Amino acid sequence: MLQSEKRSLLRFLLIYMGSTFLLFSIASWLFYTSAKHHILDTQKEALKYESQKIETTLRTLHQSGSDRLVYPVMKDADSAIYDLDRHYIFGTFKKPPRLDKKEKHRLSYVVEVEPYYLGAAYLLLSKPIDMAPLHALQRNVVLFMLFAGLFFAILGYYLGRLFIAPMRESIRQMNHFIQDTTHELNTPISTILTNIEMIETFGECDGSREELQRIEIASKTLSRIYDDLTYLNLNHQYHRQIIDLDMSRLVEERMVYFSAMAEAKRLQIEVDMEPVVVLKMDKNDAVRLIDNLLSNAIKYNKPKGLLYVKLTKHYFSVKDGGVGIRKKDLLGIMQRFKRANTSEGGFGIGLDIVNQVVNSYDFVLHIESKLHQGTEVKVQWEK
Amino acid sequence: MGKITFFLSVLVIVGFAREEGDKTSENLQTACLQCHQKEQIPSSLIYRRYLMHYSTPERISEAMFRYLKAPKRENSIMPPQFFLKFPMKRKIERNDAELKAYIHRYIEAFDVKKKLVLP
Repeated sequence: MLQSEKRSLLRFLLIYMGSTFLLFSIASWLFYTSAKHHILDTQKEALKYESQKIETTLRTLHQSGSDRLVYPVMKDADSAIYDLDRHYIFGTFKKPPRLDKKEKHRLSYVVEVEPYYLGAAYLLLSKPIDMAPLHALQRNVVLFMLFAGLFFAILGYYLGRLFIAPMRESIRQMNHFIQDTTHELNTPISTILTNIEMIETFGECDGSREELQRIEIASKTLSRIYDDLTYLNLNHQYHRQIIDLDMSRLVEERMVYFSAMAEAKRLQIEVDMEPVVVLKMDKNDAVRLIDNLLSNAIKYNKPKGLLYVKLTKHYFSVKDGGVGIRKKDLLGIMQRFKRANTSEGGFGIGLDIVNQVVNSYDFVLHIESKLHQGTEVKVQWEK
Repeated sequence: MGKITFFLSVLVIVGFAREEGDKTSENLQTACLQCHQKEQIPSSLIYRRYLMHYSTPERISEAMFRYLKAPKRENSIMPPQFFLKFPMKRKIERNDAELKAYIHRYIEAFDVKKKLVLP
C-alpha cells in the first residue's frame, strides 16, 4: 500500500470512527438515561404502593383516639410525616430529613396527604436505590459500545479499502501512463536521432531517403501523440467550429499522412470512398477520429496485412487484418488507458478519443473483431 | 458547702416548676376540661377534628381562638349535628393572652407527637 493510500485510509478511518463513536455515544447515553429512568420509576412505584398502605394506617390511627399510636414501619424503606408547614411530625428516620432534600443514592417519594390524618400534610418515603439493575444496564451499554466499536472498526477498514480502490486504480493508471508516455516518446525521438546521425555519418545521398522516411514517420508519431494528449486535456475547453466538412478529401489527406507508416509495414491498402461526403463537423474532431482509427489499424496490423478503408454517406469504416481483440475485452476497450493488446506501444487513449467524438456528434460506433483475424471499426453518421 | 447550696437550689427550682405546671394543668382542668367532662363533650374528638383540618398547632390555635372569641356555628369545626346534641359554648370573658395560653395547653395535652411510637 502506498504512503498516500495509508494516509487516506487513516484519515477516513479517523473521521468514520470518530463520527460513529460520537453517534453511538449519544444514542447509548439516551438509551441509558431512558432505561435508568424506567428502572427508577419501577422502584418508585413500589414506594408509591407503600405510601398508600401508610396513608390507610394513618387514617386508622387518627380515628382510633388511642393514647399509644404505633407508627407503621416498612421493611426496606423509611418514612416520615410532615405538617402543612413542612415541619417534621414523626417518622422512622434516625435523623429526620428535610422534606425537599434529595440524597444521591436514595430514592425519595413525597405524597400530599389530605385530610391531614394525625396532622400529616406530607408523607415522605425514602429507600436506598437498588443499584444492581443499574450496574447491569451500565455493563450492557459498555459491552454494546465495545462490540459496536469493534464491528464498525472492521467495517470501516473494509469500507476504507473499498473507497480508496478507485484512487489506487487511478494511481496505477497514472503510473502506467507515465511509463507509456516515456516509452512512446522515447521510440520516435530515438528513431529521429539515430537516423539524423546516420545521415550525418554517411552524408546526404540517394540512400538517405529511407532514413528521411523514418524521421518523417517518427515526427508524425510525435505530432500525433501531442495532438491526442492536447485533445484529451483541453477537450472540455475546446471551442468547436462546425463547418461543412468534406470528409472524402479529409480521409484522403490523412491516408497520405499515414502512407509512410503503412508503407513501412508494407500494408495492402484498399480504399473505397464515395466522392463527396459532407458532414457538419469540427475539422479537428474529424482529424482525431480518422487519425486514431487509421493509426490503430496500421499499428495492430500484421506486416503485409490488409487495410481496408471505406467512406459512404452513411458511415466510415476502417478494417485491418491484425491481431484482433478478445470478445471479453471488447466491452471495456473504449475506456481511457484501456489496452486490449500491449504488443504495440500506445497509451490506450485512441478509442477513448474516438468515442468522445462519436458521442459529441451523436454518431454510432460499432466494433467487430476476431482474434488473430482482424478488427473492423465502423462509425455510423446517423442513428 | 458550695455543692450543697447548688443541690438545694436545683431542688427549689424543680419543685417550683412542678408546682407551676400543676397549677396550669389544674387551671386548664378547671377552666376548660371540667365543663367538657361535665357536659360529656369529647375533647379528644374535637382536637382530632381540628388536627385533621388544620394540621399544624399554630393553625389549630388560630382557629380555636377565632371560635372561642366568637362561638358560632360558622366558626366551629364541628358539624351542625354536633350542636343538636351539645349546647353552643358561651363566649369566654378572658383576655387574649390568657386564652391563647389555655389553647396552647389544650393542644399540648392532646398532641399526637407524644402518642406516636415505633413498634
